[in-house]
Amino acid sequence: MLKMTDISKNFDAVKALSHASLSVKPGEIMALLGSNGSGKSTMVKILSGLVNPSGGTIEIEGKAVQIRSGADARRLGVAMAYQDLSLVPAMSVVDNITLGMEPTGRFGRIDKKAAREKAEKYLRLLKVDVDPATLVQYLMPSTQSMVEIAKAMATEPKLLILDEATASLHSDEVDALFEVLKVLKEKGTSVIIVTHRMGEIFRICDRCTILKGGETVACGEIKDMELDDIVFHMTGKRPDHSVTEEAAQDHLYKEEDLLLDVKGICIPGKLDQVDFKTYRGEIVGIGGLDGQGQAEFIRAVLADGKYTEGLIRFKGREVHYRSTADAVADNMGFISGDRARESIFPIRSVAENLFAAKATKGGLFAPLSARTIQEFANKAIKDYGIVAGSTSHPASSLSGGNQQKLVVGRWIALSPDLLLLDDPTKGVDIHSRHEIHEILRQCVKNGMSIIYVSSDNEELLEISDRVYVFYEGKISGQLAGEDRTEEKLVAAMMGLTGSAEKGAKE
Amino acid sequence: MREAFKRIKKSPAYSGLILFLAALALYFALQLIQDPESFFTFKTYRSFAGLFKNYAPLILVTMGQALLMLMGIIDISIGVQLSFANVLAVMLPEWTGMPIAAAWALTLCASVLLNTINGLVVSYLRIPPLLAGYAMIYIVKGINLAIRSAPGGKVPAEINLFYDKMWGGVLPTSVIIITLCYLGWAFLVRTPLMKHVYAIGGNERNAFATGIDSARTKVKMYALAGLLTGIGGLCYTAAYSTGNPITGEIYGLQSISACILGGISLAGGWGTMSCALFGIGFQVLIQTAVPRIFSMLPGNYNTYWHNLASDAIILIGLIGTIFAVKAQRTTLVTGLKKQVKGGGAKDER
Repeated sequence: MLKMTDISKNFDAVKALSHASLSVKPGEIMALLGSNGSGKSTMVKILSGLVNPSGGTIEIEGKAVQIRSGADARRLGVAMAYQDLSLVPAMSVVDNITLGMEPTGRFGRIDKKAAREKAEKYLRLLKVDVDPATLVQYLMPSTQSMVEIAKAMATEPKLLILDEATASLHSDEVDALFEVLKVLKEKGTSVIIVTHRMGEIFRICDRCTILKGGETVACGEIKDMELDDIVFHMTGKRPDHSVTEEAAQDHLYKEEDLLLDVKGICIPGKLDQVDFKTYRGEIVGIGGLDGQGQAEFIRAVLADGKYTEGLIRFKGREVHYRSTADAVADNMGFISGDRARESIFPIRSVAENLFAAKATKGGLFAPLSARTIQEFANKAIKDYGIVAGSTSHPASSLSGGNQQKLVVGRWIALSPDLLLLDDPTKGVDIHSRHEIHEILRQCVKNGMSIIYVSSDNEELLEISDRVYVFYEGKISGQLAGEDRTEEKLVAAMMGLTGSAEKGAKE
Repeated sequence: MREAFKRIKKSPAYSGLILFLAALALYFALQLIQDPESFFTFKTYRSFAGLFKNYAPLILVTMGQALLMLMGIIDISIGVQLSFANVLAVMLPEWTGMPIAAAWALTLCASVLLNTINGLVVSYLRIPPLLAGYAMIYIVKGINLAIRSAPGGKVPAEINLFYDKMWGGVLPTSVIIITLCYLGWAFLVRTPLMKHVYAIGGNERNAFATGIDSARTKVKMYALAGLLTGIGGLCYTAAYSTGNPITGEIYGLQSISACILGGISLAGGWGTMSCALFGIGFQVLIQTAVPRIFSMLPGNYNTYWHNLASDAIILIGLIGTIFAVKAQRTTLVTGLKKQVKGGGAKDER
């Protein structure tokens, strides 16, 4: 039915896919699996026409095809339910489901009745109880996801792709979906499921293809595979199931050293009752698959995003920051992994970039001489080993690694009590990465505390004293001391711990 | 009855309707105060109908603007394009001696073509609409001045008579034209094309992912907006019997504010043609009412004062709609961003 061979895709310098392959037979449910940065979402977006591959061939039913747009994909009988939805919020459910294939009657007018019937047919099939005339924006997130799936199914595709479609669904909705998938399978429709829920793979899928680092590393029948084998192919490690949600070594920390104490924080759909502690002078790592609530958690602490429930205590006080500026004034720092969007001022000089955080301190109209900035910058460059041609060159003239060091230097020069880093070494060369780690370790020795989110397991274990692992908005495991092994981290990432484990084996 | 009211309250045109009714009440109240004897005679209706004659070009241009704004596009050059149709309609018969009907049909085609080019630039070259519109103003103004460098020109008197005619003694020609255009919209809104327009305005990336050719749809809508602008230009020619190369420019901004006043989201994807009509109705009535209020005040005020006052009221109305409608508040910011940055990029991670 579908055969993708030798698919490559580069985003600037980053290789998302290199010579990956995937083939699906008619009437087969294929699981497409992979850990962080494996390229699985790029792979399905290539099929749906949102991303153009740099190389490789796609064959559908034996014919070589090119998928350049969503329209091409539809023509070829490929439909995809996107993780981040492809619905138009200000349009009704029925308009969304029939969008792009509206049934027309006389004079090219839309046949409203037929459209409604079509929408209702698929909503009924998926057991979605919703008035087709409601605007999508007023629906609950899980219902929106179901409408998204109904929309994909309504095109009557030969190949249906579900990209993390079950992530926001309730269990009864998942059941309804799987029932429908079984029927579709009988009719010969091929399905590709991208998911991080291991339990679902065993429930519904026939085969699985596993990507790692942009390459296809394994492919096989589900019934011949053990859960541990799958995880091994995804991560290169066998999961160690003895992880627990409570760290054994908690008692080693003294209560008076508690710096940040987060209790029961909730963001609907993103975080669910997360407890989190950071003590003075430690590096706390946060790991997990992408998008399990790590970024939302960091931002909630920094007041860049609202939480509905929970309590944050910082330096012994209960805090309710109104903006990130409040958090910075209270001696927090934040380094984003998304340099271009969130940290670098590309056309301003290196010196100004270094001074940017410092500029938030002191009076708004206090005189600030060029020499102050220059001296500050010179010192920072010397201390943190940033290689810059001249401090007056624009920050964009630096390499990615040096840019990131620039941002790290910017914050460390302020010596905040708590520094939050959200995947800071993404796309940074190995050498700079080590230097950044060195700098951070030095800071911790001087009493700073660090919370370090990373999508790279090795890095995470190397730098952190303690690791929290997020899974579906909850903490699925906490690793400290001896427990900090990649095997345990992997198990927690996949949700193979305690209560989550039971669900997976069902 | 209750249900109907609820439906109106939920429709995007609600805030525009309120503004329009308020302005309408003000207009007739002034009429009553200033001319109490003849208020309940045909004269009142006649002067009201006269508004349609004068403002039909602006109304039609606003309708064109609304079509674009539903996709999250604004075209500030739409006003000078009206003047383009105006001068071309005046000069074509003079240059070639062709019959008026043929000349005007040609003018409509030229107007559609001009706006289609604008659309191609915006959708295929991915130039932000605001920038493209700005450039277009200067280009079209140049063309207009080349066609006719000063106001003037001859238009047969019959045309003006036809335009001014009250059909059945009550319906001005301009109202019929506007109604026909509105019926065109009423048909269009029931076709897949308009659904695609709403989808593009609502979320262009998702529309693309769903298989909608957003570039082509945009060009189509530009062409339709060009048609309405062309008709507006012909109405202008008929109403004022003259060709004027630049007077239309102000219509560009006026039509945009009218659409927003009526409740169309600047970011696109939300609103109806009624929004545009209520918005422009409010604006026209305020512009007419304000000089009358000034005339009742002691002392002399020139037209600059009139404009200051009426534009201030319109500004208050704009702020009012933005704050009254929650959807508007949130979309205004995204809308402004979209105008500056241009459409969404296709290739993404």
